[in-house]
Amino acid sequence: MKRIIYNITSGNPRSLIKPSVSSLLDGFCKIVPAAIILEIFNVIFRHFQTGEPLDSGRMWLVAGVLIIWMLIQYIAYAWAYDSTYYVAYDASARGRRNLAERLRRLPLGFFGSRDPGDITTMMLGDYTLVETAISHHFPQFISGLALPLLAFVCLLFVNWQMALAMFISLPVSVLIIYLTNSFQVRLSHAHIKAKVDAASRLQEYLLGMREIKAHNLSGTRFERLRLSFHRLMKESIKIEGLMGPIMMSAIGLMRAGLTLLILTGAYLMAAGSLTLPVFLVFVLLGTRVFEPLQVVMVNYAEIKYAMVSAARIMEIQRQPLQYGTDDAPQGNRIEFDNVTFAYEKKNVLKNVSFTIEPCTITALVGPSGSGKSTITRLIARFWDVQGGAIRLDGKDIREIEPEKLLSRISMVFQDVYLFKDTVGNNIRVGKINATHEEIVEAAKKACCHDFITALPMGYDTPVGEGGCTLSGGEKQRVSIARALLKDAPIVLLDEATASLDPENETNVQRAINALVANKTVITIAHRLKTVRGADKIIVLDNGSVSEIGRHDNLVSGDGLYRQLWTLQQQSAGWRMKAV
Amino acid sequence: MNNESVKKPKTGVARLLEISMEQKPLLILGVVLSVISTLLQFAPFIAVYFIVAELLKNASTPELIDYVFIKQWGIYALLFLIGAILTLYVGNMCSHIAAFRILYNMRVSLSRHLAKLPLGYFNRQSTGAIKKNLELSVEKIENFIAHHIPDLVGAIIMPLIMFVAMFVLDWRLALVSMIPIILAYCFQLHVFYSKSAKIKVKRWLDSQERMNAEAVEYVRGMPAVKVFGLTVRNFLRFNNSIADYREVTLEITKTYKHPYTAFFVLLTSLLSFIVPVAIFLLSGQPGNQALALVIMVFLVMAPGISVPVLKLMYLGGNLRYVTDGAERIDMIYAQEPITEPVAPRIPENYSVRFDNVCFSYDDKDAATRTEALKDVSFVAGEGEITALVGPSGSGKSTIANLIPRFWDVGRGSISIGGVDVRQMGTENLMNTVSFVFQDVHLFYDTIEENIRMGNSAAGRNEVIAAAKAACCHEFIERLPQGYQTRIGEGGTYLSGGEAQRVSIARAILKNAPILVLDEATAFADPENEVKIQQGLISLIQNKTVIVIAHRLTTIREADKIVVIDKGRIVETGRHDDLLLHEGLYKHMWEAHIDAGAWELVSEDARKGAQIQ
Repeated sequence: MKRIIYNITSGNPRSLIKPSVSSLLDGFCKIVPAAIILEIFNVIFRHFQTGEPLDSGRMWLVAGVLIIWMLIQYIAYAWAYDSTYYVAYDASARGRRNLAERLRRLPLGFFGSRDPGDITTMMLGDYTLVETAISHHFPQFISGLALPLLAFVCLLFVNWQMALAMFISLPVSVLIIYLTNSFQVRLSHAHIKAKVDAASRLQEYLLGMREIKAHNLSGTRFERLRLSFHRLMKESIKIEGLMGPIMMSAIGLMRAGLTLLILTGAYLMAAGSLTLPVFLVFVLLGTRVFEPLQVVMVNYAEIKYAMVSAARIMEIQRQPLQYGTDDAPQGNRIEFDNVTFAYEKKNVLKNVSFTIEPCTITALVGPSGSGKSTITRLIARFWDVQGGAIRLDGKDIREIEPEKLLSRISMVFQDVYLFKDTVGNNIRVGKINATHEEIVEAAKKACCHDFITALPMGYDTPVGEGGCTLSGGEKQRVSIARALLKDAPIVLLDEATASLDPENETNVQRAINALVANKTVITIAHRLKTVRGADKIIVLDNGSVSEIGRHDNLVSGDGLYRQLWTLQQQSAGWRMKAV
Repeated sequence: MNNESVKKPKTGVARLLEISMEQKPLLILGVVLSVISTLLQFAPFIAVYFIVAELLKNASTPELIDYVFIKQWGIYALLFLIGAILTLYVGNMCSHIAAFRILYNMRVSLSRHLAKLPLGYFNRQSTGAIKKNLELSVEKIENFIAHHIPDLVGAIIMPLIMFVAMFVLDWRLALVSMIPIILAYCFQLHVFYSKSAKIKVKRWLDSQERMNAEAVEYVRGMPAVKVFGLTVRNFLRFNNSIADYREVTLEITKTYKHPYTAFFVLLTSLLSFIVPVAIFLLSGQPGNQALALVIMVFLVMAPGISVPVLKLMYLGGNLRYVTDGAERIDMIYAQEPITEPVAPRIPENYSVRFDNVCFSYDDKDAATRTEALKDVSFVAGEGEITALVGPSGSGKSTIANLIPRFWDVGRGSISIGGVDVRQMGTENLMNTVSFVFQDVHLFYDTIEENIRMGNSAAGRNEVIAAAKAACCHEFIERLPQGYQTRIGEGGTYLSGGEAQRVSIARAILKNAPILVLDEATAFADPENEVKIQQGLISLIQNKTVIVIAHRLTTIREADKIVVIDKGRIVETGRHDDLLLHEGLYKHMWEAHIDAGAWELVSEDARKGAQIQ
């Protein structure tokens, strides 16, 4: 229970107190008139029982109290309204902000490993669910449970048999729900599985539509999708059919309270131990006390659902933050000292050691999966190393504040994110206070200027979310312009970016050349030809350094580099030709 | 989207009902049972009425009270309750089964419909949206059918019966009980449907949308944000949107506060209205036992009326959410499927001919610039290699995509062996043409099945032969379960180069006479590149090949090179001929040779480059 509360408030359980109290108060206000009405029943009944004149003065008094009570109820409700909604909206705004702040301080690697759609859902959808859980469901849950209990205790003093008759079914129905909980969970597992399965089949169907059409497979692939939909339908009906009786018997038992009350009342009145007015009040209460409880039952599922959301939010809150508070040192010498790194239990780098001197070009070469890009990402602290150390000018980069470290580094990788803003502002990202002239200058150097001026509004043309309206090569050049503007001393580069847009290869190449001038450059190289002139080539194989040297030395050796070189020489001269 | 159909399709609740009527008998049964259940739930009040009547009649002479009669009514109440629960359950199941069946049929028919749409509809962005619609929007309809309809019927029938009963008992008291309900509704109407409320709700939705957009940008752009140290700026923007959303929400909450409170207090204070009138009536005829009985029953029963009425209110709010789902689904249905010929024709040979083809993308929100083709005419000869060359965005990919009818041409025609592709029928066309594209989709299935997609009749040996020809065999053998290894979704993931080779194996197995392929192996590592090239060589033997070329060296030997710029053909010819003219091809060739010579260079050489 503690965990539930902790989760649902995303770690701030106190935010539930006010809404719960006010919800209780509101419920209490609704019940009181039923008790007051007892007096009316009494007066009327006494009139017919004893024949004494109708005491209308007393009845008017009750009417007066009832009308005043409306006012009290209004005030109480208004107060409850404020405390629940204000608290909830405030809490979720605060929660969203905290989450955003938290995300900001997570290592960059986190964003690569998670679907960004997932994280945004968390910030928006999940928080909305938590919001409603705090403002509505949880308080109603509390009052739905507390009110009947309260009423029960009070009614015990009035007539214990009647009170028992009214409430006896309650624990039984709660017990039913509790006992069948594991059954429920099992059932919903099958249902969730069917649902997930249908979702994957659908995803496959949609993404593979081209292949499906191209190979005339709409029959077989469609059949698989159809079957998964069919299974989902069957599971849905099953869960409804099996859960239905449980829920029905629980609800039925709860409703049976009223019937049981009538039955018991009939017997008690026959025995003379119950008067008609008291009986009537019990019946009146019997119709109203269980109404919030029914709400609870409906809400229970929603609370559970919100808990899943809350748990996801909590998971982010638990992600380790990156430490380090120092400034980055002056120099740009980068040293890998026996670095070992595993990603999701898979060893990616093993005992990697090398040094990169300032203002040199270092190329990382190796088959795919050999750890080239991991090395560049570790330098930027996307993740922290698990063994050994990476040093910048002799200082362990884990001691440097991540943002300060990043301010020294420019990165040009294959995936470029453009903000939903103008092209100009997207370049300005490199240097916030850059003048328009500086932006144009950087754009010219990065060979962007021409295509930007050809856009409908030039530098003021907005680019879409994720930058979807520019071609891959154009986005790439914008990212180089950013990096040029940033003018950081260390450049991490993926050489493949140059060939993203083969038709504009020369433009991108020129842009890269402008970027790397007088910088400490670490590049991931795919085409070995391009790094023949590098000061140092580090050849990686399966997470370990297999060779280090310059092109001439390596190519005359008998190692992996030579092998790769030969292969590339073969493919470079390739011509498409039917033989 | 601009598909304003002539029939004027139904919208909103009417459309929802139309959808629901697919399972008419089951649904009606469900509703009828839920009405019966509602009626039965009314039974305890009847029992109370008779019990109170009996007690009141003999109030002064308790010895005359017929206790057997009273107990009997208690038991009746119990029996009715059991009946109510049983009918509720059966009714509930009827509605749910109806709902799930409708959902299933709808998903199946939507999926079928999607398969008939032009492939252009499925770009990456819309796939997510389509998937969401098939999952969530369809789910919303379940809500309507299984919950809203029975609830709605119940919520309307219940107060109706109660009012009828109350009017039968005493019209004056009944009228008084209606006052607070009507008043409450006036408040609600005033709040929700006034002009200022609508404006506020719109503002609220706008600010929510803004917050969503900012959140997406915040998360997606996080790597860029961190690398460029923009955290504070971006954080502030997101932060402001959160604060703004909170402000708007609180403001709305504030405006609703009093009307809302009044609404609830009125609905739950029916007694405060009934009691004074009851006292007034009873004071006029103090000895009227029947009136006293009616008053007592009223006081017990009337408060119960607020429950269904409140329910009705919640339902109204949810309905808007559901109709939105139906609209999204109808938007998919509104997409025009690709037309199929009545009598598909078989081409006489395997040459591909473009005749004055014009084409433009009509999807306005996909791009600020629309790629287009203008009067494109050329012939790709049977058994020849035809290369499409041009700057990015020139339209060469579009040309390739038009052959398999990913889109249909605007004007002009594309024909294979003299038959317009639109006259061939999809199945026929697809059997005639194979494709190898840059992005390959592998299905969650064994690798053997993934290759067999090329020809579902192929035997195991044929699959292996194709894999060998495409240079896949070796790496497949190295997989944990060889050809039986499952690909994707928790199975093995292949690298881009490997996936590409699998797609070549598919095409080899398919062995269609015409091959459209995208030559782009830039991302593959050296080993893969060589293998892909070897695979392609075995693939293109004796085929009509149309290749989208990125690296000009590869297509020097092509039988025909078609040079495209801005949607038009600017040059056509063989490599050597084209180089004789000062045209686009020559420029591109020279740039290509330059690019091939590019090196990332160190200090000294770099200075030279800068001076340049």
